[in-house]
Amino acid sequence: MNNSILKKKVPLGILIAVLLIAVPFLIQLVFGTEYGVMIACIILIYTIAVSGLDLLFGYSGQISMGHAAFFVIGAYTSGLLNNYFNIPLWLTIPAGALLSCGLGALLAWPASKLKFHFLSLATIAFGEIVYYFLYVSPGGFTGDYLGISVVTIPFLGGSYTRWYFFLLFFTVIALVLKHFLVHSRTGRAFQAIRENTHAANGMGVNVRKNKIIAFAVSAFYTGFAGAVYVHLLRYIAPSTGQQKQSVLFLTMLLFGGTASMVGPIIGVVIIEILLELIRPLQEYQMLLYGILLLIVIVALPGGIYGGIKDLIVSIKRKKAAKQLTKK
Amino acid sequence: MQMFLTLLVNGLIIGGIYGLIALGYSLIYRASGLMSFVQGDMVTVGAYLGITFYVVLNLPILVSLILTFACSFLLGMILEKGVIRNLLKKNVMPIYVVLSTIAISYIIQNTAQAFYGSTAQTFPQVFSKPTLTIFGITAQTEAYVCLLLSVVMMVVLHFFMTKTRFGTAMRSSAMDPLAAESCGINTSLSTGITWGLAASIAALAGMMLGPMYGVYTTLGSTIGRKGFAGAVVGGYGNMYGAMVGGMILGLAETFVSGYVDATYRNQLAYIILILFLFIKPTGIFNEKAIQDV
Repeated sequence: MNNSILKKKVPLGILIAVLLIAVPFLIQLVFGTEYGVMIACIILIYTIAVSGLDLLFGYSGQISMGHAAFFVIGAYTSGLLNNYFNIPLWLTIPAGALLSCGLGALLAWPASKLKFHFLSLATIAFGEIVYYFLYVSPGGFTGDYLGISVVTIPFLGGSYTRWYFFLLFFTVIALVLKHFLVHSRTGRAFQAIRENTHAANGMGVNVRKNKIIAFAVSAFYTGFAGAVYVHLLRYIAPSTGQQKQSVLFLTMLLFGGTASMVGPIIGVVIIEILLELIRPLQEYQMLLYGILLLIVIVALPGGIYGGIKDLIVSIKRKKAAKQLTKK
Repeated sequence: MQMFLTLLVNGLIIGGIYGLIALGYSLIYRASGLMSFVQGDMVTVGAYLGITFYVVLNLPILVSLILTFACSFLLGMILEKGVIRNLLKKNVMPIYVVLSTIAISYIIQNTAQAFYGSTAQTFPQVFSKPTLTIFGITAQTEAYVCLLLSVVMMVVLHFFMTKTRFGTAMRSSAMDPLAAESCGINTSLSTGITWGLAASIAALAGMMLGPMYGVYTTLGSTIGRKGFAGAVVGGYGNMYGAMVGGMILGLAETFVSGYVDATYRNQLAYIILILFLFIKPTGIFNEKAIQDV
């Protein structure tokens, strides 16, 4: 990185950091309740989950329409391990993420040879199998349709502000790791596979292996997000694993913009706030959501991040054209 | 033995419904290479349209059947012309087409709920004789008609796709739109008609389901999923495959819930689907639509 860029980026970075730290206090100042801070916490959790999905779909070009399954696998694993065996949470949360990662790899092993439409079918089927398994489990150990109640992380207590900083820490780590992964050899292999599978294969990229890695890493991210989500809300029901949730993740990703650092963040923030705004509409919530989704898809197929990028490029071009005509 | 026969007939009947929905999926895939998730909700639309025409407006059953067919045909065509074609023109990633169909399915489910309420409605008996006994097996008359109609539909569609000029045009515009266009085929019209046809088949299935299951807003989404599982099992894009796949699913479901355990009947379709996708993605009829990478 050269020095002039550093000079530009450092103040911007400090500004963003200050803003991020101020968020919970600002929310409490404006609304006077902690509910808004909880929404901020959920936004951070979803950012981790959607960034995971971005690694899979945005970078390596594989669709998953059953990502909510990984989310609930992480959540239930952590919650149930703690409920039944009293294992401390700092062990159960990674355990949830790891189980989700393992199952992701296991699913990817045969699924990696499927083409787009059929991969989406396979992931939908996987999601539904997980959902029904939680809904009617053998012996009812998952609490069936009632879901399970779990404990919160002890040292965070019931304070959403403390939760916010805890989650902010992990979100930043997740994004930094994503950045390094994307710019590593593996990350370049992912993108080669996305652009042209056959060419990647010809260049010596092990397509099968890298696809499985992408699935596993993505499932790890989403599983981790699920595992912390359950302890934030202290409750989870199988309905979180429904296909609706997977579509929500996908919508957030596509709305923000794929294959970027900022895209998932923008998408999660805007969609989550929109959903909160239309929540009072109750039964017409899904109708409005569907219409919104349709408008976004038809009007903005590159996502917001892609749209802004195009806008900047066109402005720059106009400027350059003006300079040319002046000369 | 009696139980076996009863289960067999019930399995065939529900399998016929799955098969009809699978036919729609296969038709769309064959004619435009796309996957639509609206298909299941068209079942719901059909059931509600049927109630509107037959119960609310009190029209004779044949007229309401034709009207349902026509309305859903139009709806399917409007969807293709209004949304799908627009997206394809913009040359977007295929995931956007899939997502847009999901968005439409949300809209349909919610609109139906807004109009008809969330409680299940009963569809009255259509025939004067409520049950029919064939080979000692008693079932609802509608159920037998349903089975008959699905088989007839499959054969008619197969001949329509392979033997008529129009079917050939549809297949060619799916295979290579540019080449078909240059041969003078109106590809836009033929894909539109395909979507309309798929929608109206699903709507018919919905109308037949009405008297057996009752009508509610999520009627289609569960059955629709099983329909696509059936389409994959048979071989995606194959007409006979869709029917056979649907039948297999229906039979597997009724026999498992009859002899083993009914709690896992909803999972079964997905387990069969995923097994087929992993072990034999080309389906029973070895349809070459799915290429391995």
